[in-house]
Amino acid sequence: MTASDRTRQEKRGPSRFWAIVRYELLWNLRKKKILVVLLVAALLEVLLLALTPALLNIIGEAVTQNPDYVVSTSIPGYITFFFGMVIVMNSISGEFESGTVVPLLAKPVSRTTVFLGKLAAALLTLIPAYVLLFVIQVVGGSVVYGPQGHLYLVPLTIAGAVASTLVWMAIVLAIGSATKSSVLAAVVSVAIYFGLSFASGIISGFQGQSWVLTYLPGGGNTGYLIPTATASPSLSSISVSTGPDGIASALTTFVLYPSYYVAFAMLNISSIGSSGSLTSPTLTVISTQPLWYVLLTAVGVALGYIVVFLLIAWFALRRTQISE
Amino acid sequence: MEPAIETVGLTRTYGSLVAVNNLNLQVQANTIHGFLGPNGAGKSTTIKMLIGLLRPSKGVARVLGKEVKGDDPRSRLNVGFMPELPKFPKHLKAPELLDIYGRLCGMDEAERRQEVPRLIDLVGLKGRENDLIGKYSKGMQQRVGIAQALLGNPELVILDEPSIGLDPVGMVEVRELMKGIAKEGRTVFLSSHLLFEVEQTCSHVTIIHHGNILVSDSLSNVSGMIHGMPSLRIEVSRLTDAVVSGLRALPSVSNVSTDGNAMTIELGTNEDVRAQISQEVTRRGGVIVSMNVVEHKLEDVFVQLVSKSDAAEGAKQ
Repeated sequence: MTASDRTRQEKRGPSRFWAIVRYELLWNLRKKKILVVLLVAALLEVLLLALTPALLNIIGEAVTQNPDYVVSTSIPGYITFFFGMVIVMNSISGEFESGTVVPLLAKPVSRTTVFLGKLAAALLTLIPAYVLLFVIQVVGGSVVYGPQGHLYLVPLTIAGAVASTLVWMAIVLAIGSATKSSVLAAVVSVAIYFGLSFASGIISGFQGQSWVLTYLPGGGNTGYLIPTATASPSLSSISVSTGPDGIASALTTFVLYPSYYVAFAMLNISSIGSSGSLTSPTLTVISTQPLWYVLLTAVGVALGYIVVFLLIAWFALRRTQISE
Repeated sequence: MEPAIETVGLTRTYGSLVAVNNLNLQVQANTIHGFLGPNGAGKSTTIKMLIGLLRPSKGVARVLGKEVKGDDPRSRLNVGFMPELPKFPKHLKAPELLDIYGRLCGMDEAERRQEVPRLIDLVGLKGRENDLIGKYSKGMQQRVGIAQALLGNPELVILDEPSIGLDPVGMVEVRELMKGIAKEGRTVFLSSHLLFEVEQTCSHVTIIHHGNILVSDSLSNVSGMIHGMPSLRIEVSRLTDAVVSGLRALPSVSNVSTDGNAMTIELGTNEDVRAQISQEVTRRGGVIVSMNVVEHKLEDVFVQLVSKSDAAEGAKQ
């Protein structure tokens, strides 16, 4: 290797990475992907903010002040999925479909750098969308529900939402990288998302088995926050989701209630009292776990999916033979 | 001097199909080397293996002395590559694309600032820098392809059908560009269907067919390998049998064929016998209107070699 080769190869390593980031960001920007994601984020948030007051107005009730609206409102799973899918569905497969992969990979850049650069660009597209979403949530929440507290938790919530979205991004990237088809990446991941959502509904019906949901992508199992391990939960208790999609809310809940527990309970819809009348629904506790354990499990499961699916995506890109 | 490209037993198979078969190729540095073959001969497959886009099933490829190994980008340092009908992101402008590719080639900002406008100018895209590549014609995208292959002054430039989609002026410009690269002491490896382009630019030629090398040598050796002797094309004012029979009787002439008032005289010697031929025509009452030496075209060699190869392949089956 000549001295000039060494300079070009070694000293320009980070420059190559940033070149790929710029390449991908320009793609996201010019293909209006960033705009779509930002618009959807803004519209959804405005809709969510307007929905409750509108419904209350219909039944003639006033909105009650809620200083914890922002920190207690979790990002719906369909948003993390939608953002994850839209942002990366053609990051790798699009290069193959358009044929642009040939001149790109013919440059002295490793496929690992290309992969990491594209992933970094996806995150740089995603984060502003969540920031916008929370800015609207904070401003709108203050207008609708009064002054908001614990706003220092917002960055943590954004970090949690990014982690949740990364799970879906990794899954979509893996499918796209393996199939080289953006359409397949989108269709298969939508099928996985709705399949899991549907299956979750069925599994949660079998209360003894709902722990399985904790280990699947999505919202996971739902538990109720209790102050001690032996306390009884009520339906008005704060709910906690165990799945990767619930990381943001689990994180903020943990900061606010670090020593609390999560009770997983069976809902008794109704029972007949001694007087023969129907009683209100009650909860029968199945198991109890410390909140920190629930949070750690969710983060661990999310990390597991992120690592496994990103490795699959990376490996598929590295092994791909470009014969066309 | 170390060869710019060297392959040893390079083979690529797709199931039972052998796309490239035990290819032993040497491309000398500082030459323009033409890589010829009919469609499906294995040219693009070979090039993709040289660039590292495709792994060989067997054998080794070395580019500028470095072994091409999987995804190792070091073998692509100092190599410019223009794929056949290159596709670039349509949402980028040519200077943006060249800037990004320049960074991938390891060029620093100062180099890129100087090089990108120079290349845009060189390939004739000046004035269209602010348009998105998606709005470019096929020929203009081809020009972008050439520009990006020249980023960072690579020691080896591999061009896969660079003239496809170019207008005649563009084709001439590409030929001049290749000659200029070779003059600067760099190497051009040119895959082309256009035999006249190869003839006009290349010093060395490799012809492959069915993944096998049929011939690899200097252009002059390849051109002379089928018909060793030259021919003359003569037009006379009034062609008579006496002229034809007189010429046929000459010891330096091996065959005479006629076409109206024109004759093609196949010579039996490499010596210059034009004066002798002229004298004989005049002596037999003919008046020469024109006389040209017919050089053997690469096309003749190409067609003959490929036909022979096809016949041999047919006989095997």
